[in-house]
Amino acid sequence: MNSHEWFVEHRQDYAARVLNPDDERTFADHLARCVACRSAVAELERELEWLPMGVTPVRPRPGFRWRAIRAVLGPRHRTAWAGWVPAALAAGVALWAGLGLREATVRGAELEGKLATSEQALAALGDTVAALRGAARILQASIAMDDHKGGLLIFEDGVNHQWNVVLHGVPPAPAGMAYQFWFICSDGMVKSVELTPLGAGPLFVTLGMPSGGGRVVGAALSIERLGSVGPEPRGKELVHLML
Amino acid sequence: MRVAATKGELLSGERESSLRARLIGRDETALVEVIDAMSPWLLGIAHSMLTDQDDAEEVVLDTFRLAWDKIGTLSPSDDQRLVPWLCRVTRHRAIDRLRSRRRQRIKAERIEASEPPGDRVVPPAEPNEAALPGWHVNHNVHRALADLPTEQQRAVRLAYFNGLSQSEIAQELGIPLGTVKTRLRLAFDKLRGALAPLKDWVL
Repeated sequence: MNSHEWFVEHRQDYAARVLNPDDERTFADHLARCVACRSAVAELERELEWLPMGVTPVRPRPGFRWRAIRAVLGPRHRTAWAGWVPAALAAGVALWAGLGLREATVRGAELEGKLATSEQALAALGDTVAALRGAARILQASIAMDDHKGGLLIFEDGVNHQWNVVLHGVPPAPAGMAYQFWFICSDGMVKSVELTPLGAGPLFVTLGMPSGGGRVVGAALSIERLGSVGPEPRGKELVHLML
Repeated sequence: MRVAATKGELLSGERESSLRARLIGRDETALVEVIDAMSPWLLGIAHSMLTDQDDAEEVVLDTFRLAWDKIGTLSPSDDQRLVPWLCRVTRHRAIDRLRSRRRQRIKAERIEASEPPGDRVVPPAEPNEAALPGWHVNHNVHRALADLPTEQQRAVRLAYFNGLSQSEIAQELGIPLGTVKTRLRLAFDKLRGALAPLKDWVL
């Protein structure tokens, strides 16, 4: 076998990236000089271009969409000086003013922490807004409890196959009780999460589809005694929605 | 910035071409559409090799950055399609990361500890993911893989979805390197034929 025959024989292996690192480097060097191999490798890559789609898709975590947008369109690479020059200036001013460098540094760290927290909240809010705007279907039911008039809103996220659920206008559950969310599935009810409104504002939760119970055909909300929730609602059913 | 919702729309060949043209034209809404449609698949590719969600996300973020920066360098006459290109970039970056961190050994040990060699099955996406663009391609790839003899399937899965090199596969399966090469070549030959109908596929 002459040297070029070795490259011809290993074109597929290179295209699939199964060569050992040393051989891969050797092949890459050759590829830079050999038009025939370059063309052949490109064709082999094209022929198996859909193979990676055999993986199981992974649902992005909350905030990922916003992170991706920011990663591409936001400020890209902070230059080396961008970080330390303002800090150095701030420290200099602080020293000059007799405040002491340490205090300025601590304050800077506090502000950075607050900024990181705000950015996380902004990312989550961005996803929430996008989820609401992109909802494939919206379900709504009113809830009247005592003097309160509230409701349950479900925004179906068809892309990520999840529901964004908003519970609003209801009072905190009475002591020893909890609001319980249920999926109504083709094989029966599937218990989901307890919804615990903490204050006057709406409660927003994102729920993945249940793993069992068959096809989801609706949702329900009941108020249940804590610690006694069985496989089906026993308490008062506040909402019963069918798709 | 307007955020376009994909709502599980199919990513047709025509729409893919349109997206590519809009990305080249620096249309930010096109970028958001690509992120929405492709994130689950690209995360799947990266995660299958890196087995770490943080690492997988970093790889996919790199891919989106590269797509935005380099999409214009693809020649207009180049018939390279956007989705396979993104998949390939993600896979290559995940392999680079895997190798640069010398984690193959750890990964192989994890695989060995968790299941018999080569039996790691990449299950098809759950049926309730059917709304996701790409489901049909996923299904067809699985069918093509299922038609391979078991030993060839094992080699392809370790190579393609776990990012192992030929030598690592030989070590993992306890077989000679030459046997791995033969199995992979036979498998790739068959897969080329089986996946050919997907060439003009729409997601």
